[in-house]
Amino acid sequence: MGGQDAVSAGSVIAGHYWGLPRAGRVVPMTQTTAPMAGPGLDRADGDLAIRVRDLRVSYGDFEAVRGIDLQVRRGEIFALLGTNGAGKTTTLEVLEGFGRRSGGEVSVLGLDPATDTAALRPRMGVQLQEGGFVEELTVLESLQLWQRMVDRRDEPQRLLERFELTTRRDVAVGKLSGGEKRRLDLAMAVWGSPELAVLDEPTTGLDPESRRRTWDAIQELQEAGRTVVLTTHYLEEAEALADRIAIMHEGRIAVSGSLSEIVAAQPAGFSATLPGPLDLPPLRGRAEHDGETLRVRTDDLQGDLTTFLTWAADRGVRLPDLRAAPASLADIYHGIRTEQ
Amino acid sequence: MTSATTTPTTTGTSTGSKVLALAMSETRLMLRNRTVAVSALFIPLVMGAFFAYSFTSNGGEDPSPFVFALVVASQLAIVVGMTVYVTTTITVVARRHTRVLKRMRTSGISDTGLLAATIAPTVVVGLLQLVLFVPFNAYMGVPVPADPLALALAALGGLALSVTAALATTVVTATPERAQITTLPLVFLILGASIALAVIPADGWWQLLALVPGAAIGELAGYGLLGGAWGAGVAGLPAVLPALVALVVWPVVFGVLAKRSFRWDPRN
Repeated sequence: MGGQDAVSAGSVIAGHYWGLPRAGRVVPMTQTTAPMAGPGLDRADGDLAIRVRDLRVSYGDFEAVRGIDLQVRRGEIFALLGTNGAGKTTTLEVLEGFGRRSGGEVSVLGLDPATDTAALRPRMGVQLQEGGFVEELTVLESLQLWQRMVDRRDEPQRLLERFELTTRRDVAVGKLSGGEKRRLDLAMAVWGSPELAVLDEPTTGLDPESRRRTWDAIQELQEAGRTVVLTTHYLEEAEALADRIAIMHEGRIAVSGSLSEIVAAQPAGFSATLPGPLDLPPLRGRAEHDGETLRVRTDDLQGDLTTFLTWAADRGVRLPDLRAAPASLADIYHGIRTEQ
Repeated sequence: MTSATTTPTTTGTSTGSKVLALAMSETRLMLRNRTVAVSALFIPLVMGAFFAYSFTSNGGEDPSPFVFALVVASQLAIVVGMTVYVTTTITVVARRHTRVLKRMRTSGISDTGLLAATIAPTVVVGLLQLVLFVPFNAYMGVPVPADPLALALAALGGLALSVTAALATTVVTATPERAQITTLPLVFLILGASIALAVIPADGWWQLLALVPGAAIGELAGYGLLGGAWGAGVAGLPAVLPALVALVVWPVVFGVLAKRSFRWDPRN
């Protein structure tokens, strides 16, 4: 994960885009990414950029968010995953101060977004899921207007260069491609390096190269000590960027924690081709055999695999395509979708 | 990492300068968009001039004083109804539909400042059009107003009515295209009522017609040109009172409706 990589050696390349001209100077720094904690993470509020307790949002009889708890530490990248309609955007809108909650407590940068909007918004950058542009304005005019609207200091020219829009500066926003609009959107969200950036599907519709550059920009924010909350449909994006992840489904958080914690908490598995009827040894996990392939899901991968290999060795069974692996985020994600 | 990277640099831009920046941008857009420029800037001026010319061309005879009241009332109604009410409704709905309002709210500008900046250019254009009608009307022979205060109240009350009504109309308007339909009833009401009330004798129970939205503009325009606003009317009260009540009540009603139901997100 980017944030962890950046601090793993106890140093970081300072002078990146957000604070200073890129000088490539190596200086000691305090770890910006705190050690991972579990889903039950409970920290002093000073360490937290966001604290949500029992958040509920209803539209008439429909409850879009059904009592979720979230904690996002300062300086981390937090990814909110989920299917369409899971409640991700509704949750973000409450954090941004745009959505009304039906119940629960929400603190963002120590403020209540429902009542402290005026104090909170200057400290927060927001990328909308779509739109938000006056299509008749050029790219440069849009950034120049933003410069006069936002309380954080930055320069249009720097953003044009950082997001590779310099050659498009005089083009009307309505004539930009989808990817270019997304880059302009991100440029406005991270304008002036906000304390907290809330990015709603920042890479949707981008080609792989543009997506990679967007990831770089998000990681730069974290390296500058900022907090990032993003939603995404892309599992690899969450794996590549996020320090911690929460997966929402039908208004609830199904799982949350660091990727390693989430994966460790899920059954691992092994598989092998084994034709014919089997007389398997007793395993702790659940074994499925379709007459050709054996698949085992287990919380005790080492123990069950040892038992299975001993059983195979005793019978002289060869296992040329034996595969064993921990659960992947994709497995977990799809498991949540199909189980509930 | 230096403190420069961990502490965002804030500029502390004042609300006034944000409103001004956004209002200037809106003005630029209005001038850049030919459709808006023609419908909001050009057509109301042409219509106002046409009414003035056609009403005062009385076959070579001197027009009656009521005709002058009719001219001014129609010009006020055109500016209030077409320039400000319709254009404001379309602009706000368009900015909401494209999520520009939502984006601008993330900038830190207050909600009131955001709406003021979005609406201000149209109101300024309306005021400029009214100013431009003054020398034209003088050229056409319209006399100096007998009661300038009543005329000023008609203009200010009309602008307040059109702005609040526009915000209320956005509640029932999903798209900018739909605004061309949802604004029609009130436009016709403002045009019809204000022109009618400029010429209907303001005595007895007829004065209660001033309670119709927009009618007060015409009645006050009549008082402005002909005088008599503060003479005795119904129950011995000033004749202008029903019009003044309407002038205040309708913007309040539309304002309350807008405040309760205004939506910042696109409507489906």
